Amino acid sequence: MTPLEPNVLATVAAVMVAYLGILLFIGWRAARRTHGGEDFHLAGRSLGAWAAGISSTASSESGWVTLGAVGMTFTYGVSGLWYAPGCLLGYLVNLYVVAPRLRKISETQGSVTLTDVLTRRWGDPRNVLRVTATTIILVCMMGYVAAQLTAAGKAFSSSLGLEGRGGYVLGVVIGAAVIILVTSLGGFRAVAWTDLFQGLLVAAALIALPLYAISRLGGFGALIQGLGAIDPHLLSAGGDRVGPALWGFVIGQLGIGLGYPGMPHVITRYMATRNDREVQRMQLIAMMWGVVVFYGAGLVGLAGRVILPGLADGEQALMALALELVHPVLAGLLLAAVISAILSTVSSQLLVAASAVSYDVVEETLGGARDDRRSLILGRWTVAVVGLIGIGVALMEVRLVFWFVLFAWSGLGAAFAPLILLALSRRGVNRHGALAAMLTGVGVTVAWKLGRDAAESPEIFARVWWITLIAAVAILLVGHLTHAFENADRIGVVAAATITVLAWLLVQRWGLDSLYELVPAFFSAGFAAIVVSAVTGERD
Amino acid sequence: MQEYGLTLGAHLLLWAFPLALTVLVVVESLLDNTWREPRK
Repeated sequence: MTPLEPNVLATVAAVMVAYLGILLFIGWRAARRTHGGEDFHLAGRSLGAWAAGISSTASSESGWVTLGAVGMTFTYGVSGLWYAPGCLLGYLVNLYVVAPRLRKISETQGSVTLTDVLTRRWGDPRNVLRVTATTIILVCMMGYVAAQLTAAGKAFSSSLGLEGRGGYVLGVVIGAAVIILVTSLGGFRAVAWTDLFQGLLVAAALIALPLYAISRLGGFGALIQGLGAIDPHLLSAGGDRVGPALWGFVIGQLGIGLGYPGMPHVITRYMATRNDREVQRMQLIAMMWGVVVFYGAGLVGLAGRVILPGLADGEQALMALALELVHPVLAGLLLAAVISAILSTVSSQLLVAASAVSYDVVEETLGGARDDRRSLILGRWTVAVVGLIGIGVALMEVRLVFWFVLFAWSGLGAAFAPLILLALSRRGVNRHGALAAMLTGVGVTVAWKLGRDAAESPEIFARVWWITLIAAVAILLVGHLTHAFENADRIGVVAAATITVLAWLLVQRWGLDSLYELVPAFFSAGFAAIVVSAVTGERD
Repeated sequence: MQEYGLTLGAHLLLWAFPLALTVLVVVESLLDNTWREPRK
């Protein structure tokens, strides 16, 4: 994007400051109503339909919806829109299958986190499930938080006119400081309320901007003619793909939705909903938000392609259109919407990471801070520490962490989505099967992704055997030395390693590399849970 | 000048699917409310 004029920059910066002020005000209000551990981690199970619905969806989408999704249709035309049915089918499963059952089961169990739900569902006498789940969540969430803070830093620095490395550092610190303050003071309630505000801002932006842009073009017909004139493939559902590449692309995009039931920062909203009636109202609100936001983002990308054909990076189309078409105050609001989409996810993931440490590790595994007041203080300090680590990683741009982020959505989805669905709907799975499913989900995700990259880099391809073997031996060794593993757990680890290697062979030998890794990883994990439970014989 | 148009698949993807989904969830919500309305 071209640099902004000083008066436009000043207006945009003023809107940004007002937006951050509103977030801080919401955080302060929420802090006054947060008095104990369950309040901090789950808002005392008091969320209404709007807060639960919009915050669950807003926190699941991150900057991807205002940047990545817009870039998809900008680049690929209508065929770039396949993510929308994928995500909306995921919303359907989450809202109509998971939400009502999860709310009930978590209330009955008294569980506070996703890990808590799984361990209380199947029993976890030696904390094997809790430690495994917490490790996966913490690694994925910390990577996510750092990556989102990086994106927020870049968006802030460009919106506020802060230039160079110093501008980026200041952008990261401003965004992170506000979010850490809001989350540590107000906990889950502050996160849900700020998500509601930010989710509505995103929806408003993605309704208003595409409608205005298309009307400026001369209507929907003019948009279609404009796209066709650039490239007729932009008007087809398959683009220029044919055969297996097309089917792999479509199934992969639809498969994005498989991950939703496994996202801890999303499904904890359902656990915090006040009652069944609010869950029913939430279903409609969240689905409508999804339709508006996904299709709004898609239309922004399509309109951007016609209005700004010379734009080098399609992911910048929303911001570029905002600055091109509307008054600086409105442009400021639209840029705030882009940052909102990022920060609403950061706060949710920060809280999940902090809950994993303070609740799952310190309180439940180590038996600390049983008192409600101490639990609150511990939660607040953990958010601050985890957030500061996130800032450090974002500023140092640790490459390994950003490598992990590539696996975060599919890894979390494959490790937890089949388990949550099995926990809520099926008998015949036990804790050993659950362990196998988590390890298989992560293992197949990594193996499939590495297998896909292997075509370009045979070196990595050759290492997957060894990575799997070393990881399996290390897990077995830790389980043995800590006396945590039963024999059935060892079967679970071996099964996960075997399925991981088989998946890697499949992607290599059968040319399935165009298929998104979450699809095979999800089904492999579900399969592992059922088979290992059947073999080990202990039913719930 | 050549006229361009969406393919059938693009029609389904771009507006038929979201419209059908919207109708489905709204009707489900209305039915649910009617079903749960206490008898007078």
